[in-house]
Amino acid sequence: MAKRRIAFYLMTVPALLLFFTFHTFPAIQGIFYAFTNWDGFSESYDFVGFKNFVNIFKDENVINSYVFTFKYAIVVTILINVLSLLIALGLNAKIKFKNFFRGVYFLPNILSVLIVGFIFNYLFSNVFTIWGAKLGSEFLSQNILGNADWAWIGIVIVAVWQGIAFNTILYLAGLQTIPRDLYEASNLDGAGKFREFISITFPLLASFFTINMVLAMKSGLMVFDQIIALTGGGPGRSTQSIALLIYTGGFQGGEFAYQSANAVIYFIVIIVISALQLKFLQKREMDM
Amino acid sequence: MMRKATNWTITVLIALGSLLILFPLYMTISIALKNPEEMALSIFSLPTGLHFENFRNAIEATNFFNALKNSMVITISSVVFILLTNSMVAYAIARNMKDKFFKVLYFYFISAMFIPFQIIMLPVVKVTTDFHMNNIVGLIILYVVYGLAFNIFVYVGYIRSIPIELEEAATMDGASTWGTYWKIIFPLLAPISATIGILSCLSTWNDFMLPLILLGDQNSYTLPLVQYVFQGQFGTDFNLAFASYLLALTPMVIVYLFAQKWIIGGITQGAIKS
Amino acid sequence: MMKKVIKPFLAGVLAISLLSACGNNGNSEGASGDKVQIEFFQNKAEAKATFDKLITKFNEANPTIKVTQVNPPDAETVLKTRVAKKDIPDVVGIGATDTYSTLSKSGLFEDFTNDPLIKNIQPAYLDMLKSMTGLTEMNGIPFSTNANGVIYNKAIFKELNLTIPKTWDEFIAVAQKVKDSGQNAFYLTLKDAWTTLPMFNPLESNIVGLDFFAQRAAGTVTFKDTYREVAEKQLKLLEFAQKDVFGKGYNDGNTAFAKGESAMYMQGVWAIPEIQKANPAIELGVFPFPSTNESTKNKLVSGVDTLLTVAKSSKHKEEAKKFVAFLTQPDNVKQYISEQKAFSAVTGVTQDDASVTDLKESFESGNLIDFADHYIPAGMKVETIFQEFLQKKDIDAYLTKLDTEWDKVTDRK
Repeated sequence: MAKRRIAFYLMTVPALLLFFTFHTFPAIQGIFYAFTNWDGFSESYDFVGFKNFVNIFKDENVINSYVFTFKYAIVVTILINVLSLLIALGLNAKIKFKNFFRGVYFLPNILSVLIVGFIFNYLFSNVFTIWGAKLGSEFLSQNILGNADWAWIGIVIVAVWQGIAFNTILYLAGLQTIPRDLYEASNLDGAGKFREFISITFPLLASFFTINMVLAMKSGLMVFDQIIALTGGGPGRSTQSIALLIYTGGFQGGEFAYQSANAVIYFIVIIVISALQLKFLQKREMDM
Repeated sequence: MMRKATNWTITVLIALGSLLILFPLYMTISIALKNPEEMALSIFSLPTGLHFENFRNAIEATNFFNALKNSMVITISSVVFILLTNSMVAYAIARNMKDKFFKVLYFYFISAMFIPFQIIMLPVVKVTTDFHMNNIVGLIILYVVYGLAFNIFVYVGYIRSIPIELEEAATMDGASTWGTYWKIIFPLLAPISATIGILSCLSTWNDFMLPLILLGDQNSYTLPLVQYVFQGQFGTDFNLAFASYLLALTPMVIVYLFAQKWIIGGITQGAIKS
Repeated sequence: MMKKVIKPFLAGVLAISLLSACGNNGNSEGASGDKVQIEFFQNKAEAKATFDKLITKFNEANPTIKVTQVNPPDAETVLKTRVAKKDIPDVVGIGATDTYSTLSKSGLFEDFTNDPLIKNIQPAYLDMLKSMTGLTEMNGIPFSTNANGVIYNKAIFKELNLTIPKTWDEFIAVAQKVKDSGQNAFYLTLKDAWTTLPMFNPLESNIVGLDFFAQRAAGTVTFKDTYREVAEKQLKLLEFAQKDVFGKGYNDGNTAFAKGESAMYMQGVWAIPEIQKANPAIELGVFPFPSTNESTKNKLVSGVDTLLTVAKSSKHKEEAKKFVAFLTQPDNVKQYISEQKAFSAVTGVTQDDASVTDLKESFESGNLIDFADHYIPAGMKVETIFQEFLQKKDIDAYLTKLDTEWDKVTDRK
């Protein structure tokens, strides 16, 4: 028995050490630097207490990046979930070429986010503008990514185009777990399609809905690749996400410590949101 | 069960929707095959003469095969080590949940799912430097280690649904803990390992941020990183740029064409089981 | 069954990883075979091909050394990341920017103060570097210099019978004439934030002057009180540009100007090779940006475009310096500046290209002034502030923002 225990320790302790070294330790280091004024490359630094944290709350750029990131993440989460649920319902219906279409809708998920971003960057400036001009619309004939008020919509479009793939497959998996006879019973009652969805399909999909909301929200809050490829955070700083701000500020702006403080605050925000999201969605799941 | 007739309205809607998915990819292929003169005539039309020289130039400019090799080494090694090690850690945890050490360990690992990468992004560069890990091997280690959080969560759930009697029988027959894991548990994990393998493979292959901050030597750049690096040099030559994008996307698309059923099946299975 | 497949597979993977590990170690040790590996990191995408030619020449002449070029996008960020990793390239070629100045102050580069190479460099550029860093050490060798002016399409100027403007009013009159003829006077590429700088630099340097930044640091002046004229002129230029100025990037601009879509293009001379690549037949010239109405006060913005320096941490300083010395040889400088349409920091090498003859006068008379944006802390990302201002067009908010951002960034140090 002791041998068995030793084996179990041998199985886990190396992973624990590696995980601590490359995950927990850097996280602690990040928190440590948040209280200094280190720029990332100088030999020395001083402790500055909570100065960085105080400055962050006064920093318009940081606040803007939070506003943008949350606005973006919420819109993307909602759009992705609505659209992928619709597509999943369509793919689950009695249609021709079901497997082919399923394959097509999943395709974007296997592509590199960065390269898809580069492709759309070109389409936004050289293709969609031509369509806009043909429609005779002054607004649509301009590159949406160049407009400080609307550039974020462009990023949303790309994220949704790519993001629906994975959630569609998850919803489709969920739909397949619903027994057919439930529907047949409701058919006899003469229930309408919409009522059928509200009273049978959706409640049974609840756990998939929870997972999809959490996943979409999480990737929305982390958005980085799309922005590098599409706007680089511009125009101005209008599409600068929190991740991008920490990267560029931390490495380029000589603000290693300051952005570490930003990351610490971001961490706390994520924890709070995750807790709320899980609590809220799981409670609703139970109620249904 | 009654057989319903094909619903044509939905078929048409789904078909239209799939055109939206395919259009950007059609544009990518067609731009990659054109030259600037053809582009000037119409960006939408099919290419008239196939300009494969775009691909030759792109391969040369980005050192495509080297990047492909790097991406393959990183992805395959990461996935293999993730499947072997993460499942083993999960096995030890799942079978000792009554023990305080393992229980704490379980929550320690999965709590990392909530830590945004940004908080470790800056310091991890320092740590990996101290270990001389700013290279492909370092990247693989990080992928395997960072995979632990999510994968242990999934694996532990799955392993606990496997009846313990199987192992007890093996132990009676004198098998060691390692042997039990390797001969009995690991094969039983195949369905969930397929799911984890597919997900890790896709995320590693397409990852951009970790290679961006970690890799110093241009010879070890991955496919997405190479596209980023050569943006500046493509300059005004969009055909060359698109040929390069297409080349970078192609390997995974080929894999997908052949293994589509298996990939989607694996994810579907994982979703239902966990 | 499973075991049979997995074991050899695993062995294979291990072997591959180990091989790549060795490969990497080999490179970082700097000795693959018996050649000394020198990494040359530079920030100009436009110059990659030219440097590659020079590197080939150097490698052929020095069979024991192998120089490789690294030229990533957003190079200054990458360089700082690598500094954080203590993985500084052997030879670095960057502009005399805030990044250079910060890294020099951190003591990362070799001191060239007593290096014989310095003797061949035009003293004006050495002074520029010194006044920028505020150090007594010379941590870099100015290699090439550039100019930031107005590139114009000679055919369009001829067709509309226009002459080169010497004052701001003449400049606006020329732009108005082009606009009246139904063409675009300027092609702006404001999707790329940095392209706001070629408009800003001449305005700031000539109207306000570079002393402003030291005074601002001392707290005796503010942007709000000093920058109104600059701001108004920045906005004025927008009236004469093409449609969708915020939707177009630098590459779009080079192609469009090459196709004759605008009469003028406010860019540095570094754009000229790119434009000529898109249309080799184009006839173009460059004139100094006339910022004010006193033509004698309008100096040409010119600064150190590339300076070469060697990392203190380099394991092969001797070879690295040999490469730097090679690049600064007059014939190589000549090749570089003629391909890049740049100017030489090395004495005795002149730029004779027809496209830049209009600038010759400024260079000969020394009527030059440095890039203003190099004096602004990089952490401010000032180009994004310009970009936002040009879109929102709110002068008061803009000037306030410049002040608050400056204070914020300097307060973090």
